[in-house]
Amino acid sequence: MDATTVLAEINGNIATVGYGLAAIGPAIGVGIVVGKTIEGVARQPELAGRLQVLMWIGIAFTEALAFIGIATYFIFV
Amino acid sequence: MTTSPRDPADRTPTSNPVLRRALNWGAAIAGGIAVVGGIFGLVFAGTEGLVSALLGTLLAVVFMGITGASILLANRFAGSDVFVGAFFGIVLGGWLLKFIVFIVLVVLLRGVDWLDPVVLFLAIVAGVIGSLVVDVLVVARSRLPYASDAQLPPPPSDD
Repeated sequence: MDATTVLAEINGNIATVGYGLAAIGPAIGVGIVVGKTIEGVARQPELAGRLQVLMWIGIAFTEALAFIGIATYFIFV
Repeated sequence: MTTSPRDPADRTPTSNPVLRRALNWGAAIAGGIAVVGGIFGLVFAGTEGLVSALLGTLLAVVFMGITGASILLANRFAGSDVFVGAFFGIVLGGWLLKFIVFIVLVVLLRGVDWLDPVVLFLAIVAGVIGSLVVDVLVVARSRLPYASDAQLPPPPSDD
């Protein structure tokens, strides 16, 4: 079976790919934010309070895109 | 604003007041967005629009607030041996759980006839953006000491 036939057999809503992307992007982003926070706290434990706040604001911005991406399920038919 | 000196034995991270303030302000702003969104929803989509706007704002602000609330919860373990593991376990576990619940809610709410999907989506976007604005303002106005959690040795005595 050649590639064109396989692609022609694929059916479903292309918006589903968007939900996957909405999960991957923030997952990578939050991973980086949290990983760097762990690095920072390991280097300077006395800054844990400050770094927590910065981590939280970073997570908030990253997850905002995920929420909007997943909520597009309401409007994409 | 005066701050009382911290008890040296107090190992609570200094991020707690900032997070608590952000959660309180987030709830207040959510009320404002819900009222404005509810009026627009009622005008453009009737009762369904009103319900959708209220539900959308509630969903956005509650789910955005869970991150701060999970950090506050995890900070209760400050000073214990399992703090680092418990902290990231609670914060990231809460994050994962939050998204699973959100996706399930979105799937459940998609087909119901008492909601207007467009108003619901717009209310969620407004709630998310409003929550972000509150977070940025609270952090920008907060004052966090640099050496907040350091434990200094006792001062030397002359004798």
